[in-house]
Amino acid sequence: MSATVGRDEIVAMLASFGSRQADAVPETIDSMELAWLLHQVEQRYGTRVDLDDGRLAGISTVSEAVDVLRNWLGRPR
Amino acid sequence: MTQNLSASEPGLVASPDWVDEILLSGADTEVCLCSDQPVDRRTLRQLVSQRQSVLAAAGLRAGGSLALRLPPSMAYITNLLAGWRIGAQVILLDHRLTPFEVDAALHRLAPQVLVAPERTRGGTLRAFVDVDESVTPWPGRPAMTPHALIQLSSGSTGPSKVIGRTAADLIAEIGRYTRIDGVPAPGERIIVLASMVHVLGLVGALLYGLHAGVRIRMPERITGDSILDAVAAEPTPATVLGVPFHIGLLASMADPPVLPQLKRMTTGGELVPAATAGAFVDRYRVPLGNMWGMTEVGVIATDLFGEHRPALVPAPGLEVVERDGELLIGRPESPYVGLSDPTRWADGWLHTRDAGTADRDTGLVTVLGRLDSQISVGGLKVDLTEVEAIVRTLPDVAEAVVLYDDAITAYVTLTPPATAATVEAALTHRLAAYKRPRRLHVLEQMPRTTTGKLVRDTSVLRRAAREVTA
Repeated sequence: MSATVGRDEIVAMLASFGSRQADAVPETIDSMELAWLLHQVEQRYGTRVDLDDGRLAGISTVSEAVDVLRNWLGRPR
Repeated sequence: MTQNLSASEPGLVASPDWVDEILLSGADTEVCLCSDQPVDRRTLRQLVSQRQSVLAAAGLRAGGSLALRLPPSMAYITNLLAGWRIGAQVILLDHRLTPFEVDAALHRLAPQVLVAPERTRGGTLRAFVDVDESVTPWPGRPAMTPHALIQLSSGSTGPSKVIGRTAADLIAEIGRYTRIDGVPAPGERIIVLASMVHVLGLVGALLYGLHAGVRIRMPERITGDSILDAVAAEPTPATVLGVPFHIGLLASMADPPVLPQLKRMTTGGELVPAATAGAFVDRYRVPLGNMWGMTEVGVIATDLFGEHRPALVPAPGLEVVERDGELLIGRPESPYVGLSDPTRWADGWLHTRDAGTADRDTGLVTVLGRLDSQISVGGLKVDLTEVEAIVRTLPDVAEAVVLYDDAITAYVTLTPPATAATVEAALTHRLAAYKRPRRLHVLEQMPRTTTGKLVRDTSVLRRAAREVTA
């Protein structure tokens, strides 16, 4: 079983941090937003996002978050 | 254990004995810290003693100076206590500072020994990491002041301010905590989400917890599930100590378990929006406490039962008054090292630069916001003037205005052939990530007032940025 996540969903989850509009979410992601995003993904998909530090540290933009999380959620479980 | 606070007589606190008397004493088998493994007092004392030997071998002596550039970790806790136990002055540098910022701080503060991470395991989502540290002599000088603790604060003009706190002042703050109704009681737990490198986590959790016999527990990760797992891990009552970001994590949990151990959540750092506070209390049915403090003083006022929101009760022994719309704190001495600025401290009063009111009848204090350009990013203080000064000094940048508009936002004009990318790349070396502008708008011309001053109005600057992209 696997799930997938789209850019719009990632942006919507980031927008829920600080109650922002989706178009007010910057492309760059800071460490607090990343923590918020991973928490939201864990809540929504009921899975612990166990990415190693190297891969987490590689996420600094919305596009990178989409790539990494899509791969993580899409992997066979 | 609180009776040991009588050691706050000036003659005694100058001696490093305060670390043993106030912080480290207690039964050998009492577990005082819990991260991946429980640490009892005997083990903590041994670890501190080992670090003390290493620091002494690096040349640290009583009256010397030690800089710690460590994330929250056992290495941080044990080196801090070891430095104090030697009788040295300990300088705390945020581990997120860039090498450029660290270098500037080291040259200014001139420690004799530097402890920094050599290898860190567990990172991004961890509140407490596993660190192998390096201990290196640094060509500095002994402590120039009697302060036990030195911290840097984001300065509103020019470089950061150097803030010093004596052991007596730290002990006095621990004493304030023991007298505030609603803090965790001996035998209970604090789940620490706030950084122990900054005053809320340092004194409110680490030092108070060690003193009072409150077990300090770090969650495995900073996610809602992990925080609640930490609460559920033991049957004793638990208070979660964090910043407003952490309330958001818990308030957004889809289906949190019922946890009778959860006694309270307390946050500091910035005002909590009423909707966030309401969502948390609805979900967990425990008080959401609020604290106000500053690096210079520690805890100033609290509302740990959430019954006065947004007002706060001054901490025992502290006097808070309002003068010309600004809140002032009674402090017998200036906390600033090497700075004589009557707009910051004069005649026994510390200027908080927070706008607010102090009710003469009830004593309640309400903080309304900053009077200067300091903002809070997840509880970390950032001064926009400092950020703007750094942006402006980049050779690529001709002019710059930095302001807060949901996020730190910079408007710049550039010197050809510079681009936004070259400016952003340069800033990664100069500014810690949490201080960097999240949005960088390159304009052809900065908007100016009729008298030629740079415009700082967000709506005007936003419009100018839109015109560039149109």
